[in-house]
Amino acid sequence: MSAYLLEMKGIVKQFDGVRALDGIDIKVKPGECVGLCGENGAGKSTLMKILSAVYPHGSWEGEILWDGKPLQANSVRDTEAAGIVIIHQELMLVPQLSVAENIFMGHELTLPGGRMNYPAMHRRAQELMNELQMPDINVALPVMQYGGGHQQLVEIAKALNKQARLLILDEPSSSLSTSEIAVLLNIIKSLKARGVACVYISHKLDEVAAVCDTITVIRDGKHIATTPMQALSVDQIITQMVGREITAMYPAREHAVGEVIFEARHVTCLDVDNPKRKRVDDVSFTVRRGEIVGIAGLVGAGRTELVSALFGAYAGTYRCEVLMHGKPVDTSSPLKSIRLGLCMVPEDRKQHGIVPDLNVGQNITLTILSQFSRHSHIDAESELQTIEQQISRLQLKTASPFLPITGLSGGNQQKAVLAKMLLAQPQVLILDEPTRGVDVGAKAEIYKLIAALAKQGVAIIMVSSELAEVLGMSDRVLVIGEGKLRGDFVNQNLSQETVLAAAINQSPATLDTPSPPQAAA
Amino acid sequence: MNSLSIKQVFSRYKIIALLIAIAIIWTFFFWKTDGGFLTPRNLSNLLRQMSVTGILACGMVLVIIAGEIDLSVGSLLGLLGGVAAIMNVTAQLPLPLNLALVLLLGLLLGLFNGYLTAYLRIPSFIVGLGGMLAFRGILLGVTGGLTIAPVSEDLVYLGQGYLPTQIGVVLMIVLFALTLVLTWLRRSNRAQHGLPLPALWRDGVKVLIIGAVLLLFVRTLNSYDGVPVPVLLLLALLGLFSYVTTQTVFGRRIYSVGSNMEATRLSGVNVQAVKLWVFGIMGVMCALAGLVNTARLAAGSPSAGNMGELDAIAACFIGGTSMRGGSGTIYGALIGALVMASLDNGMSMLDVGTYWQMIVKGSILMLAVWVDVSTRGGR
Repeated sequence: MSAYLLEMKGIVKQFDGVRALDGIDIKVKPGECVGLCGENGAGKSTLMKILSAVYPHGSWEGEILWDGKPLQANSVRDTEAAGIVIIHQELMLVPQLSVAENIFMGHELTLPGGRMNYPAMHRRAQELMNELQMPDINVALPVMQYGGGHQQLVEIAKALNKQARLLILDEPSSSLSTSEIAVLLNIIKSLKARGVACVYISHKLDEVAAVCDTITVIRDGKHIATTPMQALSVDQIITQMVGREITAMYPAREHAVGEVIFEARHVTCLDVDNPKRKRVDDVSFTVRRGEIVGIAGLVGAGRTELVSALFGAYAGTYRCEVLMHGKPVDTSSPLKSIRLGLCMVPEDRKQHGIVPDLNVGQNITLTILSQFSRHSHIDAESELQTIEQQISRLQLKTASPFLPITGLSGGNQQKAVLAKMLLAQPQVLILDEPTRGVDVGAKAEIYKLIAALAKQGVAIIMVSSELAEVLGMSDRVLVIGEGKLRGDFVNQNLSQETVLAAAINQSPATLDTPSPPQAAA
Repeated sequence: MNSLSIKQVFSRYKIIALLIAIAIIWTFFFWKTDGGFLTPRNLSNLLRQMSVTGILACGMVLVIIAGEIDLSVGSLLGLLGGVAAIMNVTAQLPLPLNLALVLLLGLLLGLFNGYLTAYLRIPSFIVGLGGMLAFRGILLGVTGGLTIAPVSEDLVYLGQGYLPTQIGVVLMIVLFALTLVLTWLRRSNRAQHGLPLPALWRDGVKVLIIGAVLLLFVRTLNSYDGVPVPVLLLLALLGLFSYVTTQTVFGRRIYSVGSNMEATRLSGVNVQAVKLWVFGIMGVMCALAGLVNTARLAAGSPSAGNMGELDAIAACFIGGTSMRGGSGTIYGALIGALVMASLDNGMSMLDVGTYWQMIVKGSILMLAVWVDVSTRGGR
């Protein structure tokens, strides 16, 4: 018998020829909690999808040993039968059903005739709740009556009911309050004592440090290090997580920064589903003419919420004051913002960027269509002229502007969306993840374009999850963490470690940052 | 030829599939009625029958392209037709005033529907369902459940009149000249921008086919009583709406709202206003359809326009309008209306029971949508 419950060896996963994972090893002993750390997009989720057979055996290379024997799972059902249960970042509960019904979902206990055996299910559910030291929960009540932390518990109870021997928790605390997180961490400790192994994925390194025995760090799909927690500090984990070189992809910064033309004051956004939770909490900042301000932070930190509120596109309740050229302006809808010269290229290209039934050219002119019209009649000729100018300006690769936009590559779709917003003559341009899903070549071209715009005096706010990109492009870096402004750094000798520490760190006192945060002028 | 390429051809040239469908339906009825179906008299009838559904379909196709649906149009048509009859019979209003008032009322009620949908965010399905009941109720109330008759001669002309044959010929010539000019303009425009030109002979053949159809159309109708007035109205709407959807800012916005409302909103388009006006136009179309319907029957009936919404919606879907919104054409919807009218007319001639007519129409609708869904592939 192997000492390890789980051994993953040399896992390689390719997507369209791109290696998302390149030889990852991970080992878990019974009763051990392994922390899996890495930057956004490092490959953590992909690895866990392989382990839970979302990507079935054979669609990746490498070997998984479970109890010392090779595991060849073809579906989530197989891995659950073996005792591997994953709890996703987004809870997978049906809010209207009771706690017990959720725990037994898909594995209901039945009486003859397919009737639900409620007494037995309630009894077992109550037992599980007692095991988790939560005897106060009434298992007959709908799940939605309980808060996020307790719902997370229900997920864990559901996993235990499936006889889980390995629990994978993917960002389990991202929607929990501090006290709820404490409950969660205690439960994990008691599970460990009972011999249940865990893989804990979180950006919150203090949680990882509190609960994990071993830390495995991956970066860009590669295995960086596996170290016992005793031998590590949070700082060292951060150093292992970053360390990517800034390449020559980024154009030299040669634009002059002028006066302040954009100011956001006291931006606060409430969560759409849970208005008690603040996604953005009183953030204020300024941007100067010709300045590129990068907004860094972890996924879910509230960056997208922040910029969409400024643009008037946030779906939930929010408050903010926006000043342009020193005067308060009304940016309560995208229409008003665009008229003021405040434009945004949204994060989700498919949902918010392109209009799939319109062709490439029609997508480009969507914003300024009325400029080509007299009495609503579109002057097709001048429209086409503008479209072709934009296509050549952005080096958008399409055989004809009349082709469907859905046929273009991600990078070229992004260029079309950019062209659309550039036509509106922005003075302030918000770019939310401008290079997500864009290939390397197109990335460099987009960077060049951004630098050129800054040179023309456009103030640019760029949200990005890629630290290298933020540091390569920005004049100034704002760091958002849990909805709050955690740092405002002038990008001079700024290290990825400093930015990441600011983004991750919940309590700055516990972590001595390499260089103290430098306030922007 | 494998099935995939047939599918591709059909999804690209939906119009061809539709014309083939019509040819099959007509051939079938021609054969079953021993030629009675394709007489000038019956074709004239068929086109007049189709006009009410066609007018509704013109508005409905915009609503569906914008990603909404309007179930209230049948009742609204009945209500507006009833109001027109009351103003004509009871109040004896002069026709132009009557028309203006009914059209205005249609616009207002349509805008009201649009306001509920776009600004108060009530799903259009529910707004339509509510309107369907409420408008019918109002109609029953104002008519007292009685048929309002007889309406004046000049109003009847709207639904039953024919254009003098000479005007029909002039119309044909004008339309043919228009086709020539438009084709030439398109070619020169494309040439100017260095875009690939379709071979001259292909455009030539196209123009010739259109010319032949026009000639056949006018000759057939003239050999009976002339071009019916409601058919002329329908042709005018076809032209107007095709122009609006393809050449105007408003038209482009309807497509983009229906295709991806969020992206359109984030591009600075007032999507609510677009939807509001689409419903407003739908209301005006209801008014026109109501007027034509009342004129055809020479009376305002409390049951007028019953199930009219279903015919109109079916016409749009048969005509290739996408259920998800974002794509569709006016001519497609009108051809869809022609399919529905042909089925009605042919089956009536064959003395097929009403229940069979409903079964067949329902099946054809499902068939058409299935073809649409399956040729689009898994998106």
